[in-house]
Amino acid sequence: MATAAQAIPAKPAKTQRSARQRRENFYGYLFLTPWLIGFFGLFIGPGLASLYLSFTNYNIIGESKFIGLDNYVHMFTEDDLFWASLGRTFYFACASVPLSVLGSMFLAILLDSKLRGVAVYRTLFFMPSLVPLVASVILWKWLLDADFGIVNQGLREIGVDDPPGWFVDRRMAIPSLIIMRLWTSIGGTQMIIFLAGLQGIPTELYDASAIDGANTWQRIRSVTIPLLSPTIFFNTVLGIIGALQTFAAAFLLTPEGGGPAFATWFYALHIWKNAFDYFEIGYAAALAWFFALIIIGLTIFQQWLSRRWVFYYGE
Amino acid sequence: MASTTEPLVTAKPVLIDRSSNTSVRQRRLVGKTFTYLVLTLAGLMFSFPLFWTVSSSLQTWQELRSYTPHILPESPQWGNYAQVFEAAPFARWLANSFLIVFITIPGTIITATMTAYAFARFNFVGKNVWFILMLGTMMIPATVTLIPQYLLWFKLKMINTYVPLTIGAWLGGSAFMVFMLRQFILSLPRDLDEAATIDGANPFQILWRILAPLMKPALTTVAILQFLSEWNDFFGPFIYLNREELYTAAVGMRYFQFVPLETTDPRDHLLMAAAAVMSLPVLFLFAVAQRYFISGVVMSGLKL
Repeated sequence: MATAAQAIPAKPAKTQRSARQRRENFYGYLFLTPWLIGFFGLFIGPGLASLYLSFTNYNIIGESKFIGLDNYVHMFTEDDLFWASLGRTFYFACASVPLSVLGSMFLAILLDSKLRGVAVYRTLFFMPSLVPLVASVILWKWLLDADFGIVNQGLREIGVDDPPGWFVDRRMAIPSLIIMRLWTSIGGTQMIIFLAGLQGIPTELYDASAIDGANTWQRIRSVTIPLLSPTIFFNTVLGIIGALQTFAAAFLLTPEGGGPAFATWFYALHIWKNAFDYFEIGYAAALAWFFALIIIGLTIFQQWLSRRWVFYYGE
Repeated sequence: MASTTEPLVTAKPVLIDRSSNTSVRQRRLVGKTFTYLVLTLAGLMFSFPLFWTVSSSLQTWQELRSYTPHILPESPQWGNYAQVFEAAPFARWLANSFLIVFITIPGTIITATMTAYAFARFNFVGKNVWFILMLGTMMIPATVTLIPQYLLWFKLKMINTYVPLTIGAWLGGSAFMVFMLRQFILSLPRDLDEAATIDGANPFQILWRILAPLMKPALTTVAILQFLSEWNDFFGPFIYLNREELYTAAVGMRYFQFVPLETTDPRDHLLMAAAAVMSLPVLFLFAVAQRYFISGVVMSGLKL
């Protein structure tokens, strides 16, 4: 291409342009090289490998055989834990994400009201999100200990004779995890992103609503929330992707993970157990790929849904 | 809003009906009190678990298991902390965590900046496709790639080394950080690059001598985020390390939770002390670099 361009001296502009383009390509890809190596070596390669594995019965010890869609059929028809764990995962995500996003928004709106000492409160709210997960699991297990936990001791103090067993109670285990997640997520990044979103709202709109005689609640409902909708959307999408994949807490609760009696056996934990405890690598890969499809599908669905409720100011 | 209306009120008090003026003030006072009340209540709820960790870590187990809980320890048992370090090689585990953090931070800073620079400043063929693919990686659950990655490192005999845990940071780091740095570079005027080019600087010199110094706030944020993610990571070290002396603090912490000790006494006080020790470096970092925490989050959240 370069020689062809040089052969026509009548068009020097084109030569210059292609030389420039070559330079852009050269440096662009040069700087991209480390990332490209990582992208293919640690992402595309392993991703395709696990797609292939999902059609085999590879389990480390035995010989690997191509078995077509058998893993997927087994998943839908024979694996009782598959549907149960999927259900638990959605229960956890659907309960925790809206509460968490609303909580963050509520606190951010309060913090936005230019009062004195707001920075102190912001720090107090933010700190739990910094506590390492392993530490916060251990901490919450202790806070919610059925017999000696401070929460149950407090509940007994105010007359609740039979407080819940929290993490050791099958029905209360997921709600306990939700409480823990709310503690770590409400005051963290989500809230800070809401604060940034609030600062982006033009003050004229607040002035206008004041002139129209709107009270605080009316102002929040008709100015703040619509203008925050892109932020709400952003936090909800990220929150759902995160919540669906959460299983570290469930894994750490009991020595073998997922307890008590499978109550916190989430889908991602199911993948993990199949891969690293039962060595059913092929089956685990199929579970993982199905999970990826669910998450991609959900994200696209939310993107589509967002056109109905997200409002971009000035567009 | 309040600041724009108030000067009007005080500047021309004669024109304003006094009764409505006081009622506005009263309403504002009620609103303020309400806001403070809710904020304080929420602040107590958020900080109580942290307070309780420290308080529990300084009590004896008998104290913790009495039926009338002690909010503060009768006499602080600082020995609990010493006991944690004696009962398990926590010092070693903390050092391992620090080692991993300090291997990965320069990696992310160098390679994520290079990637971001490519996306922000060069119009190479296929740029948009690569960029979308990079953002797409954030959507794929880690478990999809984890299994073959594990098999790969297993075949390469890299289990029980820190290579699998640190190499990613040296190959572009996380998509999220690249995105953040790209946004930051886009906000720097291109004239800088062009002036340097005229002076004969090549793109490497432009990046390290001209742009990188201006990117200090963004790079600090990246370093902090990298610190957090490595310090808190559990599953990576958990699958790639199975020798006790190689554990990180996060994995060691879980081990300590269930490992048999010399006595069979309850160990809640020791677990709380360990949790406090493990959280301390992160909270300290936050105290030192609070400004960057907030600005980093804001930058990353604003334009996605």
